[in-house]
Amino acid sequence: MADQSAPYVGQAMKRIEDPRLVRGAGTYTDDLRLPGMLHASILRSPHAHARIRKIDTAAAKAIPGVVAVLTGADVNAACGLVPCAAAIPDLKAPKHTVLAGDRVYFVGHPVAVAIATDPYIARDATDAIDVDYDPLPVVTNMEDAVKEGSPLTHPDLGTNVAYTHSVAGGGDIDEAFRKADRVLKHRLYHQRLTPMPIEPRGAVASYHTGEATLTLWSSTQIPHLLRTLLPGMIGVAENKLRIVAPEVGGGFGCKLNVYPEEALLCHLAMRLNAPVKWIESRRENAAATIHGRDQIGEYEIAVKNDGTILGIKSRTLADLGSYLQLLTPAVPTLTGLVLTGSYRIPAVKIDIVGLYTNKMSTDAYRGAGRPEATYLIERLMDVVAHELGIDRIELRQKHFPQPKEFPFTTACGVTYDSGDYQAALAEAKKIGNWDQMLKDRAAARAAGKLSGIGLSTYVEICGMGPSKAMPAGGWEWGCVRMEISAKVTVITGVSPHGQGQETTFSQIVADRIGVPIGDVVVLHGDTNVAHYGRDTYGSRATAVGGSAVVMCINKIIAKAKTIAAHLLETTEDHVEFANGIFSSPGVTTRQLSWAEVAGEAYVAKNLPPGLEPGLEASSFFEPENFTYPFGTHICAVEIDRDTGQVKITKYIAVDDCGPQINPLIVEGQVQGGIAHSIGQVLFERTVYDENGQLLTGEFMDYPLPRAADIPEYVLGATVTPTPVNPLGIKGVGEAGTIGATPAIANAVLDALEPLGITHMDLPMTPERVWQAIKTRSTATV
Amino acid sequence: MYPASFDYKRPATIDEAVALLTQFGDDAKVLAGGHSLIPAMKLRLARPRVVVDIGRIANLNYIREAGSSIAIGAMTTHQEIASSKQLQDKCPLLPETASHIGDMQVRNMGTIGGSLAHNDPAADYPAAILALDAEIDVAGPKGRRTIRAGDFFVDLLTTAIAPNELIVEVRVPATPKTVAYVKTEQKASGFALAGVAVVISPAGVRVGITGVAAKAYRATGVEQALKGKTTAEAIAQAAARATDGVELLNDIHASAEYRAHLAQVNTKRALERAASR
Amino acid sequence: MFAALTDPGILQRAIPGCESLTATGPDTYEATLKVGVAGLKGIYKGTASIRDKHSPGSLTLAFEGKGSPGFVRGTAAIVLAEEGESTRLESTADVQVGGLIAAVGSRLIEAASRKMADDFFRQLSAQLG
Repeated sequence: MADQSAPYVGQAMKRIEDPRLVRGAGTYTDDLRLPGMLHASILRSPHAHARIRKIDTAAAKAIPGVVAVLTGADVNAACGLVPCAAAIPDLKAPKHTVLAGDRVYFVGHPVAVAIATDPYIARDATDAIDVDYDPLPVVTNMEDAVKEGSPLTHPDLGTNVAYTHSVAGGGDIDEAFRKADRVLKHRLYHQRLTPMPIEPRGAVASYHTGEATLTLWSSTQIPHLLRTLLPGMIGVAENKLRIVAPEVGGGFGCKLNVYPEEALLCHLAMRLNAPVKWIESRRENAAATIHGRDQIGEYEIAVKNDGTILGIKSRTLADLGSYLQLLTPAVPTLTGLVLTGSYRIPAVKIDIVGLYTNKMSTDAYRGAGRPEATYLIERLMDVVAHELGIDRIELRQKHFPQPKEFPFTTACGVTYDSGDYQAALAEAKKIGNWDQMLKDRAAARAAGKLSGIGLSTYVEICGMGPSKAMPAGGWEWGCVRMEISAKVTVITGVSPHGQGQETTFSQIVADRIGVPIGDVVVLHGDTNVAHYGRDTYGSRATAVGGSAVVMCINKIIAKAKTIAAHLLETTEDHVEFANGIFSSPGVTTRQLSWAEVAGEAYVAKNLPPGLEPGLEASSFFEPENFTYPFGTHICAVEIDRDTGQVKITKYIAVDDCGPQINPLIVEGQVQGGIAHSIGQVLFERTVYDENGQLLTGEFMDYPLPRAADIPEYVLGATVTPTPVNPLGIKGVGEAGTIGATPAIANAVLDALEPLGITHMDLPMTPERVWQAIKTRSTATV
Repeated sequence: MYPASFDYKRPATIDEAVALLTQFGDDAKVLAGGHSLIPAMKLRLARPRVVVDIGRIANLNYIREAGSSIAIGAMTTHQEIASSKQLQDKCPLLPETASHIGDMQVRNMGTIGGSLAHNDPAADYPAAILALDAEIDVAGPKGRRTIRAGDFFVDLLTTAIAPNELIVEVRVPATPKTVAYVKTEQKASGFALAGVAVVISPAGVRVGITGVAAKAYRATGVEQALKGKTTAEAIAQAAARATDGVELLNDIHASAEYRAHLAQVNTKRALERAASR
Repeated sequence: MFAALTDPGILQRAIPGCESLTATGPDTYEATLKVGVAGLKGIYKGTASIRDKHSPGSLTLAFEGKGSPGFVRGTAAIVLAEEGESTRLESTADVQVGGLIAAVGSRLIEAASRKMADDFFRQLSAQLG
């Protein structure tokens, strides 16, 4: 229950979304039941690369209850090609049809679809479809894929190289390397991960033949982008298309996409003249929903003996998988935007090679390119410190820009909005009791234990973003409506799926408009209701979407003051507004409530001449820059020498996302982000064998962090507002996982440092750690 | 996600169940707690035409003293075994082992009979059953017979039970408190990468190991090397024999080499822990 | 002995779970196999062919089968060596498994393949006397 005597903003109040969710009263895609609804089941390729010789659907069609069994030959022309929105020069892209054409190129590639009156029959029908495959050579390793003579994922492209991207920034990189006292080299593998949202993908499509309108409910993060991109696939005009995101059980980026199944369902609904539902199984989710990360980087860092970093060269191979989803080739380029991290590093050269392999596509996954950047720069800082014999905190501080130097332009070509990296570091050391942590580590080591401390002083780029830098506009739209009953309806173009904007936007509105929070409703996720939007990803919803709401609030209050002035028989500059009350103290004792002002606005008997009735405003907020949240994470670990198991004994996180609308929600985001990193550093990885078979297709084989893996965090914050938006806030959805991965990895390596081990790739599984201890050597992949 | 179609039978007695298994042979599978069978069916790895649900057969769920042993009905759940005061008192290895199985939800449904009959190479009970030298009673068309633990686990997912036999009871001996089960979990599934069960009694030391090979086994190499001693030195050198003569499993979760190492480490830890109790 | 290895009647009885084996041409066969371990059996339809025959010593058996649990492809190189009165049979196999069984059964595939290979050669030996 929020404290109503204090402003809502800043209160750690419980979320408005939660009661319905924990009671099971939310509506998810699989809850939808439409009259006459059919069920679709998809047959997927068991081969990583093969020619399809023949598909025999006769037996499947003969099963009672089966309405249709269709293949690429039946649907591909009507469904169009899966779109990629990344604008990369000279991109070599395969044409990716909705169902396989004459060739499959990854395990899980959809080959045929069976539609039946119930999902059980549909599933039986897929078993009865007989596909004759002619296996082709497979390439699964990106370091092989880049070589001459490698098997080709797409023979017609003649190469596995999708694109190369070279960026040089800041000063003269060659000069920097000439002036260096030493050049340190390091190789890092950022492993492929499977997002595994608790709710797999699913969709229901329904076509209204009378009105010629199509509705698609989809477990998606991007209803608006879908509405913009699906017309090019299925031929239904944008303004005849309604996309609804019901409750979505987790996205983390993997639902920031346009999937072949979504277009397929739309086509089936029109073709069969019935609503059609499709819900994927966990294994389909693991195989055919986008994967994250998968980069191998070779880095060279030019340094002076006193630790001054002169420049970084980075050569990255990015495993894109077998075709391009919405942002696949762009994600590795995001790494280049914050490669220099929170440091003043004058010169960078970045070369990226994007490669095709016979695997599922990679795309944006919580952090999307920035975790890779933070991981590499924070590992490199520790490597430099170790090689030069410099304290790793002093080395970092030496390179921090001062707060007064912001906005701070980096060699990567972006301008950081605001920052105080020293303060976050100092706060983390304070709440973590750094000196005691050092003493504890010394004592543990003296007792023969493998004990380590790692840290990361990170910055990341989010609050996506200025339209000039975004593929399809980075603004956000909002609408605020003061109803005649003095209740408030807020409509936002962002699409929350766990981020809590129903709560935070209500807090903002309730405070600024001066209504009880229970009188505010926040609508989202339905393109018929929120007609504009750019949806939720890139930690943008409150920074950009919330700012649009603030613009609307200002417009409403301004208009209300005009009406109030007229009713109070004075001029606008004599009207005061506070706590939901309009008054004019020097002029009259009469005061007006929202009910009176709104009543007048809609009943309209006494409006100022020329003023339109109504009390609603909509706005587009265009951010002038991205935002750059930052922080310091510190992690202490102890390693069981005999088994290689790593235990996190202490975890401190100080994150600065600017002012916190709701500290409970911020904390939840940080906690979840750190959990993601615990998984990535210690045990998660997507595994394909050399034949392209996915071996981590179920929770039996893909480990996710559980409650017992999560330590008791010590969380803190500093508050450095951004000048980029009226709320001053920076976004926090991804920051936790961006900052945490290197802190944990650095801790493990610190624990192993006395044994002479200087590197280990992710994940640092018990077996890898044990092997490294046994052989006293590095463990690379 | 959805199993293939199946017929569902719910016999009321053991004899009815055996008759159904005899009638349908290879086409039938027994449903006990369902936490191995149902996932396999949902994945369509198992497609029995007939599911024989033995959950309503009376008198298969009990824990009671039977002379110097404790008799446990085949349908007793892991949670009931883990929390049984009788077993904690008389045969503590079994509840300790059961408490490591899966998670709370699995333990509330899974049964000792079902788990033993399935004989997953990484299941927990087999290590304890071997270390305890337990007896397993099965019922078939010709009546009941007893199979000793040493004869029970035959091969990968294969036991000495005939296709138309049903486990009805497991009997474990009373033991001192000097027992232990030490397990390293596969991080995703929770199954054993190496699970070691130890019983130290006046009759000697018995060690059962699971997760490491195609089936659980008695680590006779360890037992022989100990020569009945449980000093620190004896344990350290005996533990090195943990995987003698065994062909090791190898997969993305643990190589054969690491599994062998874990078996040794856990053998040492289990022996030390048991000896200290 | 070598001739026995290429006799479809013997092969069908030798191969565990082989429900049918019909010759479709010289040294090529179509087969239906019910294989797996314990209760986790699947039905696979496929083809096998015998190549590189070097009587009396060696041959290569190439096979592929698919069923709803997935597919299996591979080759087995079989070498017969006379040892006095008896003949020793050695084989090395290169098997690729795909689909569902590779995805969820990967932890058991090595052990299961070993078991099935053992069963095959035991049954084959019994057939060959």
